Amino acid sequence: MTIDLSVIAPLYNEEDNVHLLYEAIRDAVVPLGLRAEVIFVDDGSRDATFERAEALPRHDGVHLRLIKLRRNAGQTPAMVCGIDHARGRILITMDGDLQNDPRDIPYFLEKIDEGYDLVVGWRHNRQDHFSRVLPSKVANWLIGKVTGVPIKDNGCSLKAYRADLIKNIPLYSEMHRFIPAMSSLAGARVAEIKVRHHARRFGQSKYGFSRIYKVFIDLMSIRTILSFSRRPTAWLGRMAAYSFIASLIAMVFAVWFAFDDTVGPNVVFAGLCVLFGALGIFELFLALLNHLIYATRARGLLPFQVMSARLSPPAMQPNTWPDKVGSKKVVAS
Amino acid sequence: MKEAVDLSVIIPVILDVEAIADVYRDYKKVLTATGKSFEVIYVVDGHRPQILEELRALKRDGEVLEILSFEQPQGEAAALHVGFQKAVGRDVLTLSASHQILVDEIPKLLDALADTDMVIASRMGALADGKPSQEGKLERVLRVLLGSSFRDIRCGVRAMRGSVAKEVTIYGNQQRFLPLIAQTQGFSVREIEVRSDKSLAQLRSLMKIDFSIMLDVMTIYFLIRFTKKPFRFFGGFGFGVLLIGALITAYLIFARLFLDVPLVDRPALILSSLMIVLGIQIVSVGLIGEIIAFSFAKDQKEYKVERIVE
Repeated sequence: MTIDLSVIAPLYNEEDNVHLLYEAIRDAVVPLGLRAEVIFVDDGSRDATFERAEALPRHDGVHLRLIKLRRNAGQTPAMVCGIDHARGRILITMDGDLQNDPRDIPYFLEKIDEGYDLVVGWRHNRQDHFSRVLPSKVANWLIGKVTGVPIKDNGCSLKAYRADLIKNIPLYSEMHRFIPAMSSLAGARVAEIKVRHHARRFGQSKYGFSRIYKVFIDLMSIRTILSFSRRPTAWLGRMAAYSFIASLIAMVFAVWFAFDDTVGPNVVFAGLCVLFGALGIFELFLALLNHLIYATRARGLLPFQVMSARLSPPAMQPNTWPDKVGSKKVVAS
Repeated sequence: MKEAVDLSVIIPVILDVEAIADVYRDYKKVLTATGKSFEVIYVVDGHRPQILEELRALKRDGEVLEILSFEQPQGEAAALHVGFQKAVGRDVLTLSASHQILVDEIPKLLDALADTDMVIASRMGALADGKPSQEGKLERVLRVLLGSSFRDIRCGVRAMRGSVAKEVTIYGNQQRFLPLIAQTQGFSVREIEVRSDKSLAQLRSLMKIDFSIMLDVMTIYFLIRFTKKPFRFFGGFGFGVLLIGALITAYLIFARLFLDVPLVDRPALILSSLMIVLGIQIVSVGLIGEIIAFSFAKDQKEYKVERIVE
C-alpha cells in the first residue's frame, strides 16, 4: 500500500491534547481523499499520553501509527523518529500542543504540488506573549542572515516536506529550528505560507527565554556545516588567512619599531607576529583534518550534491516569500 | 549456534585473583538454586597463564564454562563487551572474579530485574551507619555533574536484560559508568542494597577516587552531554577565553594610546593575545567536532523506540 501523506506530531506530556489533535488532523485530512497516515511519537511522556493515544478510534479514514520512545529524547529526535517511520510521499510535521491548525494542511499540499520541496508555516499573528515573540523575531532575522535562507518563522513546527528530501537530511540535537537551513544542503526549494496560530489550550509551554546563547552557538555550527558540505575547507582557510594577515600586520610594526631608538616595542610585535603565524599554521592543519573527515564520509555527504542537481527545474522562482508573491490569505479563526 | 538460556553470567578477570575456582563454585551453587538455566563466560584480560590453568582445570572437572582470553590487556570494558557479544541469555549478569558482595544476595538482584532493565548492587548499606545518603566519592562527583543517583556505581555485580547488554557499548575504562550510560540510552536502572563480606575499612578504601578516574569522569561527562552538540561545549570555553583575551587586549591598547602606559614593561599583551589565540583554537576544534557529529548523524539514532502500535 502506498501512502500519500504522513502527518507527524511528537507528543510530550500532551494527555489533554492528544484526542483533540487527532480529531483535528482527521477532520482536515479525510476530505482531501488521500491515503493518509497519522504518526504520533510519544517522546517519553510521564503522563497518560500514550494510553490515551492507544484508545483513539481506528480505521476512520486515516491510518494511525503510534511510536513510543523509551525515554524523552527531545523534540528533534522525536521528529526524526517520525520522519524515519513515515511511509508517505509527502510528510507534514506539526506541534503536539494544538498551536498549529491542521486545517492549514491543504495549503501546504498545494505548494508541494507546485514543485516546492519544503513548505514552512509562518505564524504571522502569534498568540504568544511579547516576551516570546520579540526574541524569536530577532533570532529568525539572525538565522536568515547567517544561513542565507530568510525564513520569517523558523520556530513554526508546521511544515511540509517531500519525503525523499527530508529523509536524507541529517537532523540531530536541536536542529528542528534550522530545518530550512539544513534542507538547503540538498538545494531544497522553500516556500513559506501564512498559518493560523492558537494559544496553548492545555499544558505548559516548554520554551524559556534563555535560548539566545544556544541559538547563537547553534547558528555558528550550522553555518560551518553548510560551508563544510559545499567546500570542506573554506571556513578554515579563511580563518588561517585572517591569522596570517594579523601576523603580517604585527610583522610590519615589528620592523617599523626596529628602526626606532627605544628597544622593546619591536619585541612585543615580533611576539605577536609569531603567535598569529602559529595560529594560521594550526588552522591549516585543522583544514587537513577537515578534509580527512570529508574524505572518510564522502559516501554520506555527496548525496546532498546529487540531490541538489535537478534534471528539469520547474519554471518558477527559486524561492518565494509571502511578502513578494501573493500567498494564501488565511484568516485566524 | 548456542542454545538460548535464561541467564548469561559474564565474569571478567582483570587481575591475578586467587581462588578463582572456589569463587566459581560459590556462584554456581547460588545460581543453580535459582532454578534458571545459565551459561558462564569467563573473559580473561591479558596474559594470565595461572588463571587460565585454573579455569581449564575446572573445565576438565566437567564444569560447563566458556573461557575467552585477550593475549594483550584490553581493559575491563572490552572484556565485558566481548562477553556481552557472546552472551545468548535472556538476561545477563556480570560478576567479579573475586567476591564483591555476599553471593546469597545475587538472586535478589535477579528478582529485581522483573520490573526494570538493569539492577546494580550497592554495598553502601553497611557504611550507612544511620546516615541515609552514604555514597562513594566518584558517585558524588557524578551526582553533581550529571545528576546520577547511584551510590555505588563501581560495583562489578550487575544484572541486566539481554537488550541492555547488546545495545549499550562501552570501551576504555567505561565499565564503571555502564549503569549511567544505560540510563542515558533510555533503560531503567535500579540500585539495590546488598550485604558485602568486606570490612568497613575495605569498603571505605574502595570509595576512594584518584586522578585517572577524574579524567574518565571528564570524558563521560562530555560524551553524555555533548556527543550530539559538541560545539555547545567547546564554544562556551572558546568564546569565554576569547572574550577575556579581547577585553584585556582592548584595555592594554587603550592604556597605551591614551594613558601612555608602555606595553614593553609588562608581558600582559602576550598573555592576552595568547588567550585570543587559544580561544580561536578551541572554537575551531569545537567546530571540527560539530562537523564530525554532523557527518555521522545519520548513523547514530538519538531515539530508542520502545514499541510501535499500528
